[in-house]
Amino acid sequence: MGLYSEEIRNITDKSSKQLFEFAVADENNAEKIGYSNYSYWRSTWKSFLKNKVAVSLLILVIAIVLFVLIQPYLPNQKSPTEIYLDPETGYQARNVPPNEEFWFGTNSIGQDLWSRIWAGTRTSLFIGVVVAIVEAIIGITIGALWGYSRKLEAPLTHAYNVIENIPTTIVLILMSLILRPSITTIIVAMCITGWVEMARFIRNQIVILRDREYNLASRTLGTPSYRIILKNLLPYLISIIMLRMSLAVPYAIGAEVFLTYIGLGLPVSEPSLGNLINEGRVLMMSPDLRYQLLFPSIVLSVITISFYIIGNSFADAADPKNHV
Amino acid sequence: MKKYLLFLLACIVMMLTACSDDEETKDESVFRTVYSGEVKTLNYLKTSETNEFAVAANLVDGLIEYDKYGIVQPGLAESWETNEDASVWTFRLRKGVKWVDHEGNEVAEVTAKDFVDGLHYVLDAKNESSTAWIATVVKNGNAFYEGEITDFSQVGVKALDEYTLEYTLEGPTPYFLSMLNYVCFFPVYGEFLAEKGDSFGTSKENLLYNGSYILTEFEPQNKRVLTKNPTYWDHENVLIDKIEYKYNKEAATVAPELFLRGEVDEAAIPTAILDDWFKDSEKKELIRQSRSNFYSYFYALNFNPQFDAEYEPENWKIAVNNKNFRKSLFHALDRVSAMLTDEPYNPESLLNNTITPKNFVDIDGVDYTQLEPLAKFTNNDSFNPDLALEYKEKAMAELQGKATFPVKVLMPYNSGMPDWANRSQVIEQQMENLLGKDYIDIIVYAGPSTGFLGEVRRPGKFAFMEVNWGPDYADPSTYTDPFTIGGTYNKPELAEGYTDTNGQPIYENMVNKAKAAIDFAERYELFAEAEAFLIEEAFVVPYKVGGTGYVASKLNPFDAQYSPFGVTMEKFKGQKLLDKPMNNEEFKEAKAQWEKERAEALAKASQ
Amino acid sequence: MLGYIVKRLLQSVVTLFVIITVVFFLLRLLPEEGYLGAAADKMTPEQQEVYLTNLGLRDPILVQLGNFYLDLLRGDLGKSITYRTDVPVIDIIADKIVYSFAFGVAAVALSIIVGVPLGIFMAQFKGRWLDRLGTGYIVFIVAVPSMVYYLLIQVYITDFLNLPMLFNEDKPITWVLPLISLSLGPIASYAMWMRRYMVDELNKDYIKLARAKGVKERTIMFRHVMRNAFIPLAQYLPATILLTITGSIYIESLYSIPGMGGLLVDAIQRQDNPVVQALVLLFSSLGIIGLFLGDVAMALVDPRIKFGKGESVR
Repeated sequence: MGLYSEEIRNITDKSSKQLFEFAVADENNAEKIGYSNYSYWRSTWKSFLKNKVAVSLLILVIAIVLFVLIQPYLPNQKSPTEIYLDPETGYQARNVPPNEEFWFGTNSIGQDLWSRIWAGTRTSLFIGVVVAIVEAIIGITIGALWGYSRKLEAPLTHAYNVIENIPTTIVLILMSLILRPSITTIIVAMCITGWVEMARFIRNQIVILRDREYNLASRTLGTPSYRIILKNLLPYLISIIMLRMSLAVPYAIGAEVFLTYIGLGLPVSEPSLGNLINEGRVLMMSPDLRYQLLFPSIVLSVITISFYIIGNSFADAADPKNHV
Repeated sequence: MKKYLLFLLACIVMMLTACSDDEETKDESVFRTVYSGEVKTLNYLKTSETNEFAVAANLVDGLIEYDKYGIVQPGLAESWETNEDASVWTFRLRKGVKWVDHEGNEVAEVTAKDFVDGLHYVLDAKNESSTAWIATVVKNGNAFYEGEITDFSQVGVKALDEYTLEYTLEGPTPYFLSMLNYVCFFPVYGEFLAEKGDSFGTSKENLLYNGSYILTEFEPQNKRVLTKNPTYWDHENVLIDKIEYKYNKEAATVAPELFLRGEVDEAAIPTAILDDWFKDSEKKELIRQSRSNFYSYFYALNFNPQFDAEYEPENWKIAVNNKNFRKSLFHALDRVSAMLTDEPYNPESLLNNTITPKNFVDIDGVDYTQLEPLAKFTNNDSFNPDLALEYKEKAMAELQGKATFPVKVLMPYNSGMPDWANRSQVIEQQMENLLGKDYIDIIVYAGPSTGFLGEVRRPGKFAFMEVNWGPDYADPSTYTDPFTIGGTYNKPELAEGYTDTNGQPIYENMVNKAKAAIDFAERYELFAEAEAFLIEEAFVVPYKVGGTGYVASKLNPFDAQYSPFGVTMEKFKGQKLLDKPMNNEEFKEAKAQWEKERAEALAKASQ
Repeated sequence: MLGYIVKRLLQSVVTLFVIITVVFFLLRLLPEEGYLGAAADKMTPEQQEVYLTNLGLRDPILVQLGNFYLDLLRGDLGKSITYRTDVPVIDIIADKIVYSFAFGVAAVALSIIVGVPLGIFMAQFKGRWLDRLGTGYIVFIVAVPSMVYYLLIQVYITDFLNLPMLFNEDKPITWVLPLISLSLGPIASYAMWMRRYMVDELNKDYIKLARAKGVKERTIMFRHVMRNAFIPLAQYLPATILLTITGSIYIESLYSIPGMGGLLVDAIQRQDNPVVQALVLLFSSLGIIGLFLGDVAMALVDPRIKFGKGESVR
């Protein structure tokens, strides 16, 4: 105290001019203070880049996706559905082990496994991505309404309890039986059950966030509801949404494998990872033929694990709490 | 951490030591197998599924049975006779045959009334018997089923006394004996049936046995054990003492491995792993072909296309009514190449060049398929690329301006059957490459896996499709049913330009004429002509017989009782366990030997 | 508390009612062909009609629904049509439930006994070899299709140890492999979950404070961190245990275990409506009861939660 008391006592002795200076209004400085160079996406991206494993897997996944898309147009590619004939016998080139001609060998009717695997990956990834996007759109919309609107709360909660408690298997099987076996059927069957989880997550988060002070302030200022949901709430949910979406892809691929296992998957003439693995399963006991199971399993494993790890690290990176 | 590991290890070791392998001493002969399709009922009066009457066949005997060459032998009936036109049949029953329960205790004697009670149950619609349609051969059977008659005594089955049974039929039925091989003509002890009501046949306790085996254990989706019936009338011909079935839904995957380890005595070897087994010198010795059955598979050309407009049904209709177009498809189908999808090692052995398979019926030792009208098809492969292209040229010339090329050919398959899916792809490519994509465009279409026939074949939603038909009794007329009016296959009655003078389709007239003939030689000749007509006009392309695949088995299939239809082939009676399984060479030898002996036996029987 | 329970129960009954009705209508969308089975080809259309009428499928759909509920009120779940003809559905389920439940509970126990400590150790030795090993295991389980490694385990381990391949009730040694296979997945998820939870929790301020105060590491672990970790576990455990009775379709198929796995799939594919409806009823009720018990358990474990305030949606 003693240190400053002298000074304070002497304040009156000094002229006010010595104590305060007039600040000159400076446009440039004003700009600097009002503007922060914090960008949500840039920070997210920055902290994501710190995770080396995830980045390399992301590159791998992008490479796979690109490769799967351009593979049919590369030179020397075979058709995934054409049956190749053995020039000696004139009949199908059955179960040819991997060689120069057929890089991954052929299956039991002489189709080229290399191109079938990429065609199958294309189909499965397509199913996975479409399911993830549809689930996200429906899930977020309904979840946001459910969490934010008090009128819709009760009916949606009841609907949720019903849908959540119908065993997923039943819906999957019934849908596949009632509709024709096709890609659309599989996507529809998975979306019918898939969005519920997403909606619940969004709803729970929104319930937590909606009564925070800043939202209350927003409301009292007359901000419309849709703006509050879009601008105030959703950005907080990005990390959860990203995580769930990236997990939805491998989940959908897995569900496709399961449906194929119980005999309701895509027709064999339509290559998919589920089909390839299911066909290869019987061959597990035969050392010579095991390559037919090995390659699709590896592709499936790589894709699954990549999405898991990328999803998790992206969720960490997207969490604003980790940005400081 | 270490504690946990130790604890786990201890648990495992304890479990390992707790159970020493207690190997049973084997005096009796036991046959063990795994199966993946469970029976849904033991009620043999209700079922029509093969795996279900396969169980019943060993538990309950009918009036007749067959020997291993397919000649009718007395079963529960010791002797029988028929009237002039084969419409009234009288059977004299074996005396002293007993119904026993699952513990082998005698319950009652088998009498003629048991057969009447059995038929009564089958023909009562509320029992939902799915074999009732066979039993309607008996006079007033259909009327009773559909409720037009309520008094069962008007139906043509009578117990004249305890040991005499009489059937009166709707019309002349020379092949009636073969129908007795079906479960719907099996006996049932009426009092027991009444007592059990709906629960009859739901468990081993709710069933009585008079056959070669007793069901001593029955736990659905787990296991089933058949034990030799000591009171069986013919028990010295029952050579296997015990049959153990273990359920395994993944049998296709694990059964071959189980066989190699000696845990089962029979396993089907899926086509997919055949290569592996044939390349291994030891495993090769263990497998053989399985015996073919009498399901006939053929490709049908549809005359009543009802599929979606995007596949151009009208255009197909124009094309299919052109004989040259049909014949070009007929000769273009490379059946061996198609067959490789489920029989890669001996594809020719299963091909079938007629609708009626070989060895089905014969006249004086001459096989039906070798009768004059059919012989030329039987002995030649329909696949002929040169002829196919020749017919293609003609068809293109004739259809110029009428049909648009390429003709879209809708070829559906059941998406629940991977082999069929593969086959469809093979055929699509093979036929399009041969005939040219400017001529036909085969569209492979995945149909639903359940209710396939009801969604695709019966409503006519196909152009060219693999279909099959199984016989119901020993007469060629059984193979005409799909093609006569009311059939739900390819509707040949709608083919243009095949109407006879009386306004009926030519084929219909030929079949009706054949059905009216009672003399076997004449009858078979007429049926052969009708069948030859179907093939000659390329309404169908015969393809193969059923029963494909390879097995590793300690049974000799030629020991078994033999008949093309009904339950006889499922009986274990007469079969014995081999020390080691047959390989395919031995199988082929045994088959040749059996065919020779059979011809002799048939010739002898017809004298 | 009591009011809350009653309210929850009433809600559950309504939910069940809706679920069963929805599934009832869905089942009626299946093709009729399925009811006829192999005999369809041989029956005349009239005979098919008689057959379907006798099954009750020709009644107006509301009458069918009404009959179903009347029977249900009487405690009658009906008889199977195509799965095991004329056998009461209750008996079919009762036979199988024992196996699946036994294996399920054992597998849950094993997974927790192995998975939770594994997660804790992984968190404690974060970044060291144990953590890496555990992560490797988790990655493997997540990535490789389970149908592939189940089969490998069955074939190679039975071969190596000279064991019978199939399940046999009388030989306990044959119970081990299916149990272990069944637990592999849950072990991975418990370990993953536990590790993540521990790592998050150990970074929290109250732990730092406790450390700063000089509380022993062991006490921090057991008194603070793990206690909190068991709250969510307590919430999900009842549902997890109850739903183990649904069985594992693939493991039960491979080892010939006569359990519930696959029953639902089989029943739907054979269009055995009474069996499907009974199973839906069973699974949904168990799910609902499980959630309810979970809430109660959580309230008992977690002193912060009071009943009756706000509704509960998880």
